[in-house]
Amino acid sequence: MGVQIVMDRSGDTRHEFDLTDLKAVALAEQRFQQLTGKGFRAVALGKNGSPGKLMRDFDPTVEQSLFIPQLQGG
Amino acid sequence: MAQMEEILRALLRRALSEHGGEARVLTGVTIESGWRRFEPRLCAEFSDGYRAWQNLRPGACFAFCERHGVWDIAALRDVLLQEMRRMHARMLRDDAVERAGQRGSWFAALLRRVRSGLTRARRGRRRLPRMETAFRRHFLEESSEAWERGLQLLEEHLSPEQRRQYDASGYFDVTGGTSGKRYRIRQGSSMNIEQLDKRGRRVCTLCFMPAGRLVTGDVMLAQKVALEVFEREALKIANKFY
Repeated sequence: MGVQIVMDRSGDTRHEFDLTDLKAVALAEQRFQQLTGKGFRAVALGKNGSPGKLMRDFDPTVEQSLFIPQLQGG
Repeated sequence: MAQMEEILRALLRRALSEHGGEARVLTGVTIESGWRRFEPRLCAEFSDGYRAWQNLRPGACFAFCERHGVWDIAALRDVLLQEMRRMHARMLRDDAVERAGQRGSWFAALLRRVRSGLTRARRGRRRLPRMETAFRRHFLEESSEAWERGLQLLEEHLSPEQRRQYDASGYFDVTGGTSGKRYRIRQGSSMNIEQLDKRGRRVCTLCFMPAGRLVTGDVMLAQKVALEVFEREALKIANKFY
């Protein structure tokens, strides 16, 4: 089971998808493209809080990906 | 920190017990100055108008300020509010688990009914104007839930060492993914990152956050991930204060 965690004003929204379900994977890929197109950064989260990896392209084998809105200086 | 934590915990515990365990949203913190032989007091304000006070020992307050690097009342209030919200969310969660465990006992059920009756009676005496009540319920409850979700997300993705550090001190250290430099992320949403030298001394303060007014837990997690995964980009965006 894969999960895409999108940070938003409600805390976060989680979209789970079955890695063996082609339709669900296609939908997850579409979501990935939409969000990264809006400026979100997609990161494949590491296990146990270890550093993750920046995702330039959609990878259906990643179990947990986090979508961070565009950064801005404060 | 431990002294201050005790003070905050005592204050929140009293608020929880006087509310009969019902969830209320913490909306503000004020510090009342001491007068003659009285100590200064910390006052917590809740969304239904309830207030609770606790004496504040100046030594504990000073240590807290030093730890969080805050030296003015407004910043201290912000940090206190964030810290108290974090503790309050955790206490509410523990309280809910405890109550779920007691649900089977008839005596506990009786107590719950008496408590909720008392709370309702108290609430009636302190009724806010209708519009204001609706506004508070809609916006503040929602933000409290978001606050908890953000905090949970952050805690899920801290390493065991970072989590231990965060629980003990209210901050955690991160190693830059590209440079290997050390950064300290403190509880907060802005001006809360410090770059440290090899001896752990502050080199500068960094300020960057994700767009969109996210809750603190989300902001801190985004800052951690950014420094670990795309440090260079984050540093380009960040404003630096020496």
